[in-house]
Amino acid sequence: MSTPIGTFERLEVWRDGHVGWLVFDRPDAGNALDAVMFRELEQAWLALDADPEVRVIVNTGNGPAFQTGLDMVQVAKDKDALRAVSRQTRDFELRFTAWQVGVRKPVIAAVNGICAGGGLHFVADADIVIASSTATFTDPHVSVGQVSAFETIALIRRSPAEPVLRMAFTGRHERMPASRAYQLGICSQVVDLPENLRAEAAALAEKIAKNSPTAMAVTKKALWEALERDLTAACAAGAKDLAIMWGHPDQEEGPAAFADKREPAWTPLDHGLIEAATQAQERNA
Amino acid sequence: MSYGSYETLIVEREGHIGWLIFNRPEQLNAMNNAMRDELADAWLELDHDPEVRVIVHTGNGRAFQTGVDVMEIATDGIGFERYRDSMENFDVHFTAWHQHVWKPVICAVNGICAGGAFHWVADSDIVIAASDAQFFDPHVSVGQVVAIEAIGLIRRMPAEAVMRMAFVGKYERMTAQRAYELGMVSQIVDPPENLREEAQKLAELIAKNSPTAMRYTKKALWGALEAGLTDSCKAGAQQLVAMWGHPDQEEGPAAFAEKRDANWAPLTPSE
Repeated sequence: MSTPIGTFERLEVWRDGHVGWLVFDRPDAGNALDAVMFRELEQAWLALDADPEVRVIVNTGNGPAFQTGLDMVQVAKDKDALRAVSRQTRDFELRFTAWQVGVRKPVIAAVNGICAGGGLHFVADADIVIASSTATFTDPHVSVGQVSAFETIALIRRSPAEPVLRMAFTGRHERMPASRAYQLGICSQVVDLPENLRAEAAALAEKIAKNSPTAMAVTKKALWEALERDLTAACAAGAKDLAIMWGHPDQEEGPAAFADKREPAWTPLDHGLIEAATQAQERNA
Repeated sequence: MSYGSYETLIVEREGHIGWLIFNRPEQLNAMNNAMRDELADAWLELDHDPEVRVIVHTGNGRAFQTGVDVMEIATDGIGFERYRDSMENFDVHFTAWHQHVWKPVICAVNGICAGGAFHWVADSDIVIAASDAQFFDPHVSVGQVVAIEAIGLIRRMPAEAVMRMAFVGKYERMTAQRAYELGMVSQIVDPPENLREEAQKLAELIAKNSPTAMRYTKKALWGALEAGLTDSCKAGAQQLVAMWGHPDQEEGPAAFAEKRDANWAPLTPSE
């Protein structure tokens, strides 16, 4: 049973059980990002993060492509429409990925086909990445006279650096297949039959949805903030995150459910608790 | 040099190789309060023993380590509060990295490696595993946060795999083969019962190298995890230069020319 969330022109957004879906829906344009999709993405991520029934978010695309980045047709014909995005890019105030808008819930990118250029944002900014065997990864920025920066900067922290640099410099003249992305640990699962990708993503998301939403939100905070810091500083900050959870009811419920051989009844995620803890950490810093 | 007596660990030396072995096999080597205290001493004893050049770290029984002893937490009436101050201040002492051990440490994962076990994987220099070892992180499945161990791992291997383990929790296990592919471990030992023999062999190879050069190398590489690229290289240059003029730098080429093993200078006390 799926329940639609919001009304969008360029996206399909719904919830099925505890799993929220955010699907790029411009299949005739390779799901390229135009001004409308940029705006809608922020709204969609925030709506899914705020929906108390959603515990995990899956991000994928309709049609043969996953995401092909900035809409070059709009760049060529209607630059004015993209003025807001250009300003956000210059100031690094972009608001179209889960990480950029501060989503607290785990995000799975399910790469259903070509992922090009700006499409790599959605891979770099996801927690977990799975791919169809037909998926490919490529970064054509330098082939069209653009600099590759944010996506590859984020990827370089998640993967061996050489393949990212190679992708950045070979541009549109080479594509990395899903099998190589798996070997490198850019994705953790390749789904052989492309038509099974969503079913596999849902199965993975449902496993994750069984875990404590609050413990996952604090874990996500600790791990992503660690990418901002040096090792010792990251561990010291992570230690404070650990303690946020101590005394939370999920810590009684987890072992109790285990002992009773039943599924745990987790407390719903309270964004306020995590915001308050973050603010307290900043005050004490 | 004989070592102190331990209730939860076995600490011993074979040639130049020091062994630190988790020894609570019935509890899958879970770390109780006693083990936590003993680990702090054991690392320092091995680091201070001049005969020890390399340390191997493994477990007795079918598990390598399964993290904090949840039974003790659940039944001792103190629970995690016992650890609150030391954790909030990140003043902990149970891994080689926490204890500033500058000798090479090999982690030999002999079986189940779950949850807090990743502290010792993340804080070792070299990791090898038995072919039947399994890796998973059940923290979020029991309402706990994963932080320190995953933060360490995320700098040593592709991050996606670490995040997947963190969020899937107890519902999935990573095989030794996948850990090898991802570079989390560098060697799989098959059959599993040969793990200690292979670990000893690897450690003996490493023990042939200059102890002083290895100390400064370890300082340079772990220091690099603390800073950006340029700052790390500048700090690393200090470690490089620290070795210049040391007798091992004459002895190494001389032994090579004479086709004999090098006779390295012993480590001076750590600074």
